[in-house]
Amino acid sequence: MEPIIKVENLTHIYSTGNVVAVKDVSLEINPGEILGVIGQNGSGKTTLVKHFIGLLKPTKGKVYVSGIDVSHQRVQQMAAKVGYVYQNPNHQLFARTVRDELAFGPKNIGLSDEEVEERVVQAVKFFNLEEFLELHPYRISFPLRKLVGMASIYTMRPDVFILDEPTTGQDNITTQTVYRLIHKLRDEGATVLCVAHDMILLAEVVDRMLVLRDSELIMDATPREVFSNYEVMSSTHLTPPQITTLSLRLKERYQLLDQTALSIDEMVGAVKNLSKQ
Amino acid sequence: MQGVVIPISMIPGDSIIHQMNPLPKLTWAVGILAVSFATRNPAVLGAAFILGLLLVLVAQVGGAYLKVVMVLLPVSLALITLQSIAPAFPRPWTPIIGFGPFTIYQEGVYSGISMALRIFSMTTWAMVFIMTSHPSDIFTSLKQVGMPYVLNFILIMTLQLIPILQNEFRVVLNAQKSRAMKGTGFGALLPSMVPVFVGAIERVQQLSISLESRAFGSTGQKTSYRRVRISVWDVLNLIMAVVITAGTTYWVVVDKSLEWSRTLVFGQVFSISLVTISTLGFLTYLGLAVYLVARS
Repeated sequence: MEPIIKVENLTHIYSTGNVVAVKDVSLEINPGEILGVIGQNGSGKTTLVKHFIGLLKPTKGKVYVSGIDVSHQRVQQMAAKVGYVYQNPNHQLFARTVRDELAFGPKNIGLSDEEVEERVVQAVKFFNLEEFLELHPYRISFPLRKLVGMASIYTMRPDVFILDEPTTGQDNITTQTVYRLIHKLRDEGATVLCVAHDMILLAEVVDRMLVLRDSELIMDATPREVFSNYEVMSSTHLTPPQITTLSLRLKERYQLLDQTALSIDEMVGAVKNLSKQ
Repeated sequence: MQGVVIPISMIPGDSIIHQMNPLPKLTWAVGILAVSFATRNPAVLGAAFILGLLLVLVAQVGGAYLKVVMVLLPVSLALITLQSIAPAFPRPWTPIIGFGPFTIYQEGVYSGISMALRIFSMTTWAMVFIMTSHPSDIFTSLKQVGMPYVLNFILIMTLQLIPILQNEFRVVLNAQKSRAMKGTGFGALLPSMVPVFVGAIERVQQLSISLESRAFGSTGQKTSYRRVRISVWDVLNLIMAVVITAGTTYWVVVDKSLEWSRTLVFGQVFSISLVTISTLGFLTYLGLAVYLVARS
């Protein structure tokens, strides 16, 4: 299968202060994969993913999206392929109504009025925004604005979704919507990259994790493998979800379990197995 | 998106000028500003400019100063050209030479040279002041001489907000480009400005709450983290600044013999060379700017 994103020896050095933000990273992402990108603040996560939509150009190396070299593309051209949901929705909300906000992206990529309308209706339904449709985006609560931000990218139907900290500082309803969104995108065959510190979210939804430390990609594996690797976890100062830590202790220190649990359901399954033995 | 960053801020150092109290330095800068606007005499303006240059050398801020000069130079060159052919000077004008629809006037060349020197004399002194004084020290000293704390604070906050807003604008522009917004033209104005302004207003609201929760506006004696000492030398310097600049201003206003616009006669060769060099210099700058913008 042709990878949808291909990164070859990518290095990015910020011109201000000569900070090496990404150092010699190579990776391939297949269509339909759900990835988590983790690492401490300043480890280069955001710098890495910003290359996928052309917001940053490589200092060295190449980035291809659907076989196209991103360094020769404008962000506006890439936007139809790659959707970037910003952490702070306030950075993009400007329209007079939520409806206009949702229609902005699809109009920009040149869809007809009917298509735009249809996509807005679908997004509104999925994100439960019916009652806010005619309100000003700044009149609704922050978690709702976050949903509007995601919905405004969803209406553009890109092949790749980049979600930057989708659950940070969000209430439960928004967090649940993020879970539903990622599952729906998976069903629709989209590729999703989730830049996040929310390990519970990542443990439950992603297939593969990229771990960055000091600008380098130090691990590219399943969440189960990443969470079980003490060296990687402690050197990046990341902590697995509590349920995973519990299962790891029971498994490795007390030899009680025979598998690492990523969710409560998996833990329940493991304990059930145990009681059967 | 990377703009040209003009380094109008303090350049750390320990020169004799860095060690001075900010108040006399500010007084000198303001005094020279007054002198510069009070006269058109090229000799006086030139002398002020050269003295300023000496201070730049003493303060060892030449590199940063040159960057400012690079910005001022095209403006000054354009002024010389425009003034020479259309003087901002009371008529009658004495023509030196004409070519096509344009005529170079004696008063125009005089006025152009004066204006360029005026720009350089006052900015050089102002730059020496700004580049050798820590912003906090400036405001602490101003407070010592009775500038209200709140007014001082407003000034500091405004200065700090500029880089924050620039950064915010960059982020917003990127966010809208990610939604395929055309990066230029009137259509880009609303989507990029609304979030920046709403963000700025929200930021100010939060700031005011956080300030009040940290006892902003309480009465009584305030302490300051940075201490600014004022030595005998600083007081003398301050007195010198006031006396010399006020005296010079009075002299250049009163002394009519400093009016050289008709006595300092410019020859044809000199005038043509000056205007040609200024025009070419300005056009080179313009071309370079267009090239850089087109390349980004």
